[in-house]
Amino acid sequence: MKRLALLCAVLMIALGSGIAAAPVEVSLAYPVAVDAPITAMLKAWSQDYMAKNPDVKVTLIFSGGYPDVKTAIQTAIQGGAKPPTLAVMLATDVYDLVNAKFVDSLDDLVAQAPAGAAFVKDFLPAYMGNSYYKGKLWSVPFQRSAVVLYYNADLFAAAKLAPPKSWDELGKDAQALTVDGGKTRWGIEIPTENPYWTFQPLAIGAGKNVFSDDLTVNFNAPEVIDAVQFYLDLSQKYKATPPGVQASWGTSTQNFAAGKTAMIIHTTGSLAGILKTAKFKVGVMAVPGRKIGTLASVTGGGNLYLTAGHSLEERKAAFAFAQYLLDPARVAAFSQATGYIPHRSSATATAEFKAWMAQVPQAADAVAALASAQPELATQNLNGVKTIFNNYLQAAFNGTQSPTDAMNAAQNASNKTLADYR
Amino acid sequence: MREVGVTNRHRVLPYLLVAPTLVFVTAFTLLPLGESLVGSLFKHKLNIPRFQIPIYAGLGNYADLFKDPEFLQVVANTGIYVLALIPLLLVAALVLAFLLDGRIKGLAFFRLAVFHPTVLPLVSAATIWMFFLTPGYGLWNQLLHLFGYSGPQNWAGNPSLAIFALALVAFWKNVGFLMLFFLTGLQNLDHSLIEAARLDGAGGLRLVRGVILPLIRRQTLFVTTIAFIGAFQTVDHVFVLTQGGPSGTSTLPLYYLWQLRFERLDVGRGDAVTVLLILVLLAFTITNTLMSERHEN
Amino acid sequence: MRIRATPFFRFAVLLVVAALMLTPLLWALAASLRPPEIPFAQGSVFFASSFSLANYAKAFSLAPFARYYANTIMQVVAIIGAQVITASLAAYAFARYRFPGDRALFIIILLQMMIPTAALLVPNFSTIRFLKLYNTIPGIALPFFGSAFATFLLRQSFLSLPRDLADAAAIDGCRWDQELRNVYLATSRASVAAIVLSSLSYHWNDFLWPLVVTQSDTVRPLTAGLVRFTQMGEIGAQWGLLSAATMIVTLPLFIVFIVFQKQFVRGYISSGIK
Repeated sequence: MKRLALLCAVLMIALGSGIAAAPVEVSLAYPVAVDAPITAMLKAWSQDYMAKNPDVKVTLIFSGGYPDVKTAIQTAIQGGAKPPTLAVMLATDVYDLVNAKFVDSLDDLVAQAPAGAAFVKDFLPAYMGNSYYKGKLWSVPFQRSAVVLYYNADLFAAAKLAPPKSWDELGKDAQALTVDGGKTRWGIEIPTENPYWTFQPLAIGAGKNVFSDDLTVNFNAPEVIDAVQFYLDLSQKYKATPPGVQASWGTSTQNFAAGKTAMIIHTTGSLAGILKTAKFKVGVMAVPGRKIGTLASVTGGGNLYLTAGHSLEERKAAFAFAQYLLDPARVAAFSQATGYIPHRSSATATAEFKAWMAQVPQAADAVAALASAQPELATQNLNGVKTIFNNYLQAAFNGTQSPTDAMNAAQNASNKTLADYR
Repeated sequence: MREVGVTNRHRVLPYLLVAPTLVFVTAFTLLPLGESLVGSLFKHKLNIPRFQIPIYAGLGNYADLFKDPEFLQVVANTGIYVLALIPLLLVAALVLAFLLDGRIKGLAFFRLAVFHPTVLPLVSAATIWMFFLTPGYGLWNQLLHLFGYSGPQNWAGNPSLAIFALALVAFWKNVGFLMLFFLTGLQNLDHSLIEAARLDGAGGLRLVRGVILPLIRRQTLFVTTIAFIGAFQTVDHVFVLTQGGPSGTSTLPLYYLWQLRFERLDVGRGDAVTVLLILVLLAFTITNTLMSERHEN
Repeated sequence: MRIRATPFFRFAVLLVVAALMLTPLLWALAASLRPPEIPFAQGSVFFASSFSLANYAKAFSLAPFARYYANTIMQVVAIIGAQVITASLAAYAFARYRFPGDRALFIIILLQMMIPTAALLVPNFSTIRFLKLYNTIPGIALPFFGSAFATFLLRQSFLSLPRDLADAAAIDGCRWDQELRNVYLATSRASVAAIVLSSLSYHWNDFLWPLVVTQSDTVRPLTAGLVRFTQMGEIGAQWGLLSAATMIVTLPLFIVFIVFQKQFVRGYISSGIK
């Protein structure tokens, strides 16, 4: 009888542990083109994590860009299916996502995770600007960047020019470095097929950011209109940049590395790629402001969100995986591989990263640019407002409307659209 | 219709047989139409707390649409797209049909060459053209260069040219398909009529304009309708080539519909655009039916 | 030939047209075989120095094309199968019997031919979600199970059955399904073929609906899978890879078309008759 009981007990324990061993699924939707160097890194890390945590199954889902991830999450949730547990989406999408209840707050997970509070505190304040809404924490920085000015230091030295310290100098330098009306080389290229982001440093450099809070935009502020005019001046007055809208986000970095343009305004996320392909000394700095000695930049990039509709177990596992991914050493390694700015103080403090910054001064410059960075456009109905602003910016750049008319129209349209949210 | 002796058993059977088709058609065509109609009368936006529960707004969505410059731009885009694409398609399809009518060496090969894009998914056609349209080494630009073109090269990224890039892809994909109908029409013509006209002295272009075109009027009408409906129904190439841009200059109605519902989560407005889209297509189909019936009388 | 033009002129024009029409596909093919190390800006695309299948290998490793093919086949087979069945039943009822309301019901069904399903993606999305079929292959296929076009075509064909054959079958006393199968469908093979082929080409190439109603690679068809390669992000265009992916999706279809040209053409013509 006793042997039977013992056998039963052993069986139950064996069965019990067998049942409990079903792995928790954590999936991460990451916005990247199908074949980018980052995917290899992320895959390696997820393998490593699974090896260390056999009770967790990590799936990486790569899809297009930030809008594609967001749309996929939205459609999945509305379709009644479970979206990927974690998703990297724009930090500025927070209002839309929270209002539509597509993401869950991280507060309770932070409270119960080991060293949760310290984990959150370690993030640089400049990058936490869009993480809080309605008093709760909704996302943590994942890959954050800033808009900077890349310049060909060798060309500048050859032309005996110093890096520009104001709009005036920027225009004149670009003019001096333009060869053959742009056919051989442009002075500067500014991608504007999705203009709001590369344009913001110009507005900030003029003295006013394009928005003040989630319900107030400043599109027709005189400073912003002046910034639009400056962009036009670069092609019309200084003849240093291609006229109109420049659809060159993908190609401007290649042009810069090939010497076809002396300067570009681009994301710090392109730094690694540029350093690899450029055969000259690359200079990095924040975008010069209007007044001499002023600098301007704007933050960007994606945060890690927890999507709605998952069990507590899944959410805990997801948060643990997030903490693993955002470990200071990995954040530092990620930055080194990509040029995204490390967003944790402890990451920049590692000896390894300090050594790398000494080796790659451009990285330090990128981090330094952060000091002049103001928040990226983030309002309610962000898609709608961005579309309006982009359309009117491009109308002004293409000359179909004057800067004043375009910006007034943008302001009116945005106000109307934001009225629904008040 | 055959009369069959109706027994008790057969009184119910026809209804049962028709039921499956009826159920599916009702569930996925008729009811959705009704849903859209009703839904379009409500303001329902998933990302605004105030409108997460639908609020009755009468024709508000429609009024807002017609006041919205973005929607008006979509209408304008559609106008340009249709005006550029349809006449070109019709003329090219007809000319090709003439060329391919009759016996000629290598006919099968030529027909294959003209027709093959139709078989491919529009997504593939768009990816092929994406590469083809690349500024610089893209063959399209090299071809244009041969003809002395010196304008902007990045068609898909240019606000004034993007819509034409879309029309170009749609043209390449559909001209073979439309040519087929003209070809059938030409091959079914009564040769004696044409011979008579030719004997009468009509030749070349006069023959075409005076005799042949009127004879294939039904085909022409029909082809125009398909071309028109096709232009509205497929927007795969917008997803691939331009994503509606730059600045919304290449947003076509169905793509706009998708954006409204799935990107901006504006359900009410999405329904309104659905209704408008269907009304336009219905109007076209009905007009075609009426015109062809009148013609036959 | 009605227009008087020398045969040579006609041949020359056709040659130019054929060349122009075939160039995009051939060019993409050439691009897909180009070794990835050689940048596109350098040298000619058509006459590269060497060929390489590296792009294909990479494309296969980045997306589960075999899975996409399986998904597409499953979805298309389900749709075509269901359409032929539901349409045969309904067409048989309309052709063989007269019953109260038959005219009205027929018109209701025909309404579907006037309303493009593509435009109804928003409400159909809600329906699929309501049926808990989101992200499943039945979810993609279900809305198309009833086909007014197929019903119309089959009814036409059934009605044109010679009177004596129909009467003989009726008198024979066999059951309705035997009659349907052995008499009506057996003589409507051309119509069935037309339905199969036109449905095949429409649904094989359908993009937006599957995109909207699915999210994972385990159910997505070829079209939705291909579009992932076009989202270029920050690394810029990878034409070789994109062309290879396009070829993987397109070439098999192209070859099938060449083999079954006649049938495809016939299918297309009748599909337009709606």
